Amino acid sequence: MRVPSPWFRPLAALSCALPVLAQGQDAGLAERLYRSGERAYSAKSYQEALDTWGQLLQTDSKSGFAPRALLMLARHQMEVERKPEAAMPYLDRLRTDYITSPEAADGLLLRGLLLARQARRPAELKAAMGEFNRILDLFPEAPVRGEARFQLGRAWRDQGQWGRALHQFIEAFRLHPGSAVAPQAMLEAAETLDLMGDLPGCLRMLQRLRTEAPQSPEAQEAAWRAAVRVKHRLQKPPLRNEGPWPAGRTKWLKTPTLLATAPDGDLLIFQNGLDRAFRLHGSELTAQGPAAPGTRALLPGPGGAVWMLSKNGLVREDAAAIQPLGALGALSGAALDRWGALWVADARTPALTLFTAEGGTRTVASPTASALAPLATGGVVIAADADRKLLFLDADGQPRVIVPYGQDLPVPFRSVIALAADGAGQVAALVDGGDFGEGVVIFGPDGAVLRHTTFKALGLSGRIVSLALDRSGGLILCDRRNDLLIRLN
Amino acid sequence: MRFRHLLAIPLFCAALWGQDAALKDTFLQAKALWATQGDREGASARFDGVVAALAPKAGGLEPEWIQILCESYNWLAVLDDRGVQTKPRAQVRLQALMDLNPDFEVDRALTSQRLAALFDRMKGEKYALVKLSYAPVGGRLLVDGRPGAPLPRKYLAFGIHKLTYTRPGHAPAEIALELGPRDVKSADFKLARTASTLTLYVQPGDVEILLDGQSLGYAIGKAGSDAAPLALPLGLRPEELSAAFVIPELAPGKHRLELRAPCFRTRTIELGAELATPAADHTLEPIRMEPSRGTLSVNSAWPGGELFLSGQSRGPLPVADLPVCSGSYDLLVRFPAGGFAQRITVEEGQSLALEARPKPRLAFAGLEGGDFTGRARFLAQLEALGDRLQPLAYLPARPDEPPAEALARLKASREAELVLIARPVPDKIIHRVELVLATLDGEEARLVVKPLEQDPLGSLAARLNAVPRLQRPGLGLSVLDVPSEPGPWVLAASAPALKAGIQIGKPLLQVQGKPVPTAQGLQRLVEAAQGPVSVSQEGATASLPLQMEALEIPLGSPDFCYPAVLAQLRLQYAGAKGDEANLIKLNQALVLMQFRKYDKAIELLRDARLSTLHGVSQGTLDYHTGLCFLHLGTSYHSEAGQAFRQALKYPQSTLLGPDGPLVAPLARQALEDLK
Repeated sequence: MRVPSPWFRPLAALSCALPVLAQGQDAGLAERLYRSGERAYSAKSYQEALDTWGQLLQTDSKSGFAPRALLMLARHQMEVERKPEAAMPYLDRLRTDYITSPEAADGLLLRGLLLARQARRPAELKAAMGEFNRILDLFPEAPVRGEARFQLGRAWRDQGQWGRALHQFIEAFRLHPGSAVAPQAMLEAAETLDLMGDLPGCLRMLQRLRTEAPQSPEAQEAAWRAAVRVKHRLQKPPLRNEGPWPAGRTKWLKTPTLLATAPDGDLLIFQNGLDRAFRLHGSELTAQGPAAPGTRALLPGPGGAVWMLSKNGLVREDAAAIQPLGALGALSGAALDRWGALWVADARTPALTLFTAEGGTRTVASPTASALAPLATGGVVIAADADRKLLFLDADGQPRVIVPYGQDLPVPFRSVIALAADGAGQVAALVDGGDFGEGVVIFGPDGAVLRHTTFKALGLSGRIVSLALDRSGGLILCDRRNDLLIRLN
Repeated sequence: MRFRHLLAIPLFCAALWGQDAALKDTFLQAKALWATQGDREGASARFDGVVAALAPKAGGLEPEWIQILCESYNWLAVLDDRGVQTKPRAQVRLQALMDLNPDFEVDRALTSQRLAALFDRMKGEKYALVKLSYAPVGGRLLVDGRPGAPLPRKYLAFGIHKLTYTRPGHAPAEIALELGPRDVKSADFKLARTASTLTLYVQPGDVEILLDGQSLGYAIGKAGSDAAPLALPLGLRPEELSAAFVIPELAPGKHRLELRAPCFRTRTIELGAELATPAADHTLEPIRMEPSRGTLSVNSAWPGGELFLSGQSRGPLPVADLPVCSGSYDLLVRFPAGGFAQRITVEEGQSLALEARPKPRLAFAGLEGGDFTGRARFLAQLEALGDRLQPLAYLPARPDEPPAEALARLKASREAELVLIARPVPDKIIHRVELVLATLDGEEARLVVKPLEQDPLGSLAARLNAVPRLQRPGLGLSVLDVPSEPGPWVLAASAPALKAGIQIGKPLLQVQGKPVPTAQGLQRLVEAAQGPVSVSQEGATASLPLQMEALEIPLGSPDFCYPAVLAQLRLQYAGAKGDEANLIKLNQALVLMQFRKYDKAIELLRDARLSTLHGVSQGTLDYHTGLCFLHLGTSYHSEAGQAFRQALKYPQSTLLGPDGPLVAPLARQALEDLK
C-alpha cells in the first residue's frame, strides 16, 4: 500500500473542508438575501425584493429560506399584483420541492384558495379540497389548519353538502377557538344550520358568535341575521306601514323602479327618470355606476359594484363595455351565483339563461319566470305566473321547494311582480291580482308564509313596482308614481 | 513487644482522627504510662499516635491542640533520648517542636539539662528574643500579618519582621524589627483610643446582630469563665452565653441594636449617645432572647398526605397544633398524586390552620446550556415562577442538577405530574428560549419567549393559572339578544322553567329585581347567584332553581396550557364520583384527542356514562368516541359507526355546552360518510 506524502494530508483536509465551508457561507448568504428581500419588501421596493428572492432561489435552492422566498413571491402576486395565475408557479414549486418545510402548509392553503376561486362548478372544487385535506393530514401543528377546515366547509357548502360543511365549520371554531377564522366559521355554521332546517341551532350559534367575538365584523352580521330571523320567523308581527322612508322623505326620487340590497346592507335604487343606479347609505344618496337606460334588473356584483340589465345588455360598474344578453328582451330578474354565473329570467322565455364567468351561455329548464331573486342555498327563487307557483331552485336549477300561489294565505294572488331575498333565508314577494290583490308576502326558506299584508289594508295607494328586505326585519317598497320609498315594519 | 506497639500506631491514627476526646485521652494515658508505670514503649507509641494525628494538620490547629502537639514532641524527645537506638531522634523531635512553636518552653523538670541546653542552642541558631509590652492589654498581635498570642516574650526568626498590635476602639500600632544572632530586642505598643466599643453576650448563641439595620454578623460560640461575673447574677452559667461579640467602632450618636434568631422574638435595644461619647469600652448586661412560637394545623380530605416545612418532613396528615417557630416557611404537602404548596408565615402565639387540597406538581427541571445575555435574570424568574401560580404546586430545580438528570429523576420518582424545561433556541445570538411543559406521559406544550422582554414568563403564568370550567350555573333557558327587545329574549326553556311560568318568545325584563339588557348580563347575574333566581316577564315573576350545566373544555385555545389542564383533570377525577367523574373523563379524553392520543381517549370514554340527556351528555360522549375510532383508521370503522348510532339516540345532546350545536346531525353525517 502506498503511503501518501506528508504534503498530501493538509491538501486532502482542505479539499474535504471546502464544500462544508462553502455550504456554511451559502447558508449565511441565503439568509442575508432573504432578509434583504424582506427589508426591500417592507419598504415597498417590490421589484428589488422580488429580484433578491429570485437570486436566493437561484443561488441556494436547498436553503431553508428558499420556501420562505417562494411563499413571499406567491403572496406578492396574489395580494399586490392581483395576478393569482402568476402565483401558481411559485406555489407549485413550493408544493413539489419543499413539501416538508413549514411554509408548505401556507403554500398549500394559498394554492387551495386559488383553485377554489378558479372553480366554476362544484366538481372543480375537488383539487382545492385536496390541498385543504393535505394540510390537515400532513401538518398537525400548522396554524393554518383552522383556515383549511373552514375552507373545506365552504367547499362542501358550495357543493350543497350541508352536513359535511357543518362538521368542518364546527371543527374549525371548536379546535381553533382563538383563531381569526373562528368567528367566520361560527357564522357559516349558523347559516348552514338554518339551511339544514335547525333554526334554533342557527340562532344559538349566532348568539354564541356575538358572545365570543363581540368585536368581530361577523358579530355585526350575526346581530342582524338573528334579528331578521326572529322577527320574520318567530315573532311574525303584523306588517304595518311606517310611511315614507327614510325620515319621511317624499318626492325625492325620479321614478324609482328597482331596488336591491348591497352586501353591506345599503339599498341600491334604480331611478328610471335619471337612468342611473344610486346607493342609499344612511340618508345619503350617491350615484353608482354609469347611465343605463331601460334597466329592468338591478343587482350587486362582486366587490360591491352595481350590475344593471336591460335589453341592450349588461352594464357593469366595474367594466366599460356592455355585455350583450342575446335575445332576452323582457328581463324580469337576475342574480349572481357563487360561481360567478349570472342567472337571468325573461318574461317571454320559458327557461332561465345562465351567463358564465368565462363568457359562455347555457339555459336551465324552467317555467317562464316573472321575477327572480337569489337564495342563500346558492340557487334562486322564481315566480312562474303561468303555473301560479313559486319555485325554489337549487344551485343546479332543480326545484327543491314549490309553493303554489296562495298557499297558507286566506285567499290567493294571481301574479308576482317582484321578488327580493335578505340573505338570511327570507324571500319577499310583491304580489297582485286574485282575491288577495296588491300586497306583499314574506316566505321562509322552506316556502312557508311568514308574514303578509295587502296595500289596501295598509292604506297604500301608489304604484309599487319593486321591494327589498332590510336588515331590521322591515320591507322597503318602491313607489314609482309618488317618487318615494315606503317602509313596512 | 516493640512490634506490637508499632502496630498500634496506625490503629491509633485511624481511631483517633477527628475524635478530640479520644485523642486527649490518649495523650493523658501516654503521660500516665511513663509517670506511673515507667512504660516507655507504651508511652512512646501513644505520643507517636498523637503526633501522627495532629502533625499533618498543624497549620490549622487550635492553640490548645498546638500545645498538646508541642508537649508530645517534648515527651518524645525525652523518651527517645533515653534509648541508645532512638537517641538521634531526640534532636529531630526538638527541631519539630521548635518549628511548630518557637515560643514553647521545654519542661525543665522533665527534660535533662543536656537536652534543654541542646534545645536552647538550637533555638539560638535560628531565633532571636523579642520582649513585648502592650498598652492597653487585650488586643491582637500580628507578626508579619499572621496572628499570634500577645505574649510578653516571643522568639522570631532572624530577619526583618513587622509586628502589628490592634485592639477594638483603638488605632492600630506597627513596629518593624530586624533580628540577628544573639539579638534581644524590645517592642512596646501604646495604642491611641479612637472610638467606643460595645461587647455583647447573648443567650442563646447563634443570634444575628444588626446595628442600625446593618448586619454585623452572628454571636456564636460559648463564653469563657471570664464572663462568669456577668452570667452568674442572672442565674446562668458562663457557657450558656455566646462568646463575646464586640462591636469595634461605635460611631458618635444614638444607635439601634437588633438581635434576631429563628424561633426567638427579635430584640431591639436603643443605645444612647453616652455609649459612644466619650470613647470607652462598654459591656452590656447579657441579653436573653425570648422564645417565639406558634402552632400549625394542616388537614386534608385527601388521603396519604405528608407535611414538609421548608424541606423537612413533619409527619403524615392530619397535623394538629404542631408547635412551630414563628417565621416564614415553604409548606408542602405531598400526596400520592399531586401536592399542595404554600408560603406561610407563623405568627408568635398564633394558630394557623390550613386545608390542603392537592394540586398538580410542576417541577422545574432547569435551564439548559447556552449562554445568553440576561440568563441569570431569566433563571431567577423561572425559579420564582411558583410565586405566581395558584393552581399548581411548584418545585424549583435542584441546585447544580443538570436538566437531563432532573428529567430522568422526575420520570423515575414521579414526584411531579408536570415538568418544565427551558431550552435556549440555538442561534448566532440567543434571543429566544423555548419553554417545554409536559406531563410525565409525554403530552407537551411549547412556548417560545424572549428572555430580555419585561416579563418573559407572564404568558406562561397566565396560561398555567387559567383553569377551564367543566360546569357553569344556568337556569335552563336559551336566550338571544334581539334588537328592540328590552331584555334577553327566551328562545327555549327547560321543562322545569316552563313549569315555573317562563314564556318562550318573550323577553326577560328583570332578573333578581334588576333590569338585565343582554344575555351576557344575565349569565353574569346567574354566576353570582347563590340560590334560586327570580326572573320577570311581562309582570309575572318566576323563581328558577340554579342548575349546573356541563361544558366541554375549549380546545386549541391560546389561553390554556393543556398538559397542565390534563394534570388537573387527572387529579380532580381522583376525588370525583358519578356524573362529575364521567364529565371529567370526557374532558380528559377531549384533551387527549387534541394531543392525537385517540387510543387513550377511547379508554377513558369507553367506561364513562353520563346520565344526562340534554346539552353535553351521553350523546356527546358517544359522538367523540366515534370520532376517536375514525382517527384510528379503517379497522375501527365498525366501532365508529356503532358509536355514532349510539349518539343518534340522544337528539338533545350538544357539543361545547348547553347552547352548542346538536350532536345528532353531525353523527348522522358521519354515519353517512362511513357508508
